[in-house]
Amino acid sequence: MTVATQQGGGGGSSGLYDVLELILDRGLVIDAFVRVSLVGIEILKIDIRIVVASVDTYLRFAEACNRLDLEAGPRKPAGLTELTGQLTESGARGKTKGALSGAAETISDAFQQARDGGREHQGDDRAARRRGE
Amino acid sequence: MGTYVYGIIRASHSPLREDVDGIGDPPRPVRVLRQGELAAIVSDAPEELRPKRRDLLAHQRVLDEAGAGGVVLPMRFGSASPDDDTVITVLAERAGDFLERLRALDGTAEYNIKANHDEEAVLRLIVADHDDIRSLAEATQEAGGGTQEQKIRLGEMIAVAVQAREATDAELLHQALEPMAEAVSAGPQSTGWLANLSFLVDRGSAEQFLAAVDEFRQEHPHLELRVNGPLPPYSFVGTPSSQQAEGGTAEAFGAAAAQPNR
Repeated sequence: MTVATQQGGGGGSSGLYDVLELILDRGLVIDAFVRVSLVGIEILKIDIRIVVASVDTYLRFAEACNRLDLEAGPRKPAGLTELTGQLTESGARGKTKGALSGAAETISDAFQQARDGGREHQGDDRAARRRGE
Repeated sequence: MGTYVYGIIRASHSPLREDVDGIGDPPRPVRVLRQGELAAIVSDAPEELRPKRRDLLAHQRVLDEAGAGGVVLPMRFGSASPDDDTVITVLAERAGDFLERLRALDGTAEYNIKANHDEEAVLRLIVADHDDIRSLAEATQEAGGGTQEQKIRLGEMIAVAVQAREATDAELLHQALEPMAEAVSAGPQSTGWLANLSFLVDRGSAEQFLAAVDEFRQEHPHLELRVNGPLPPYSFVGTPSSQQAEGGTAEAFGAAAAQPNR
């Protein structure tokens, strides 16, 4: 499970991506100060739900579902952790990854392209997420 | 090119560490401008200001450092004044507002939580909860994967169920943690999370808040939570645009779930 509590933030790079939109889209705005035009920021606002509701996503969901062991799964939500563990071990996880997080990664990619100097961090961040799961 | 403004503090705020780097390359030294009971944390603004990682980090780090010594009103990234005098004038003219806001935020910190589904876990929940999806999934598997049309139909049913589940789970998270916080603000949407919520938490009860987060995590193992905090109270400084967004998550996600084909 992904557990990331960054105490203090401390400028840690793994935390930056997670709080990026707060730094860019929240915080005090004062009319007398110029807000510098920030090219590329609007990319953050793309509605990923459009991506989710696509035929491509449907196919990925269906394929992920086809890989589920339906005999083991239904009516046993209490056994989730155990089942997820088995799936991870069997390697199915790598393949099903993406039905849900694909859209998020699309956004990550778009944002990554929109800024300079973010590549290294982005890679670290995603790698950290994978490791953490 | 002017004066870059990081945040507003009380004039009585603990002195900032001297070695904190501001934005720019090379990093501009951070200074404090005082006016009456207030002060602004500033540096010279670089010639060209862009949302580069280094500068975003510098902005965050300066505010983090300031927050360690007392309450701070964080500016949004990219706020520059023509000169120091304009900053002083703003502090004088809006002293009442700023002092009121500093009082309201005294002793608090922002905790941002982003939630996502664990893919397999939520698929299992959905198959278990929806007889129609389970039947179709079983039929599709027996047919060795099914035709393209069957897959699309199954996938669409799952997508609708997942979106409904996202809305439910966002609301669950909101309701579970709201009692532990002074205020809740929905973060900017559509950055790849089913819920993006900021909680204003009294620093004295931060431990209880984080314990509640862990409890929620254990009760809902199909959700992945990413917690960031304590942060400067970006979402609670009272900028009109952020106030509009407050409390909008459940409705917005509900609407999204109701129109999955949008």
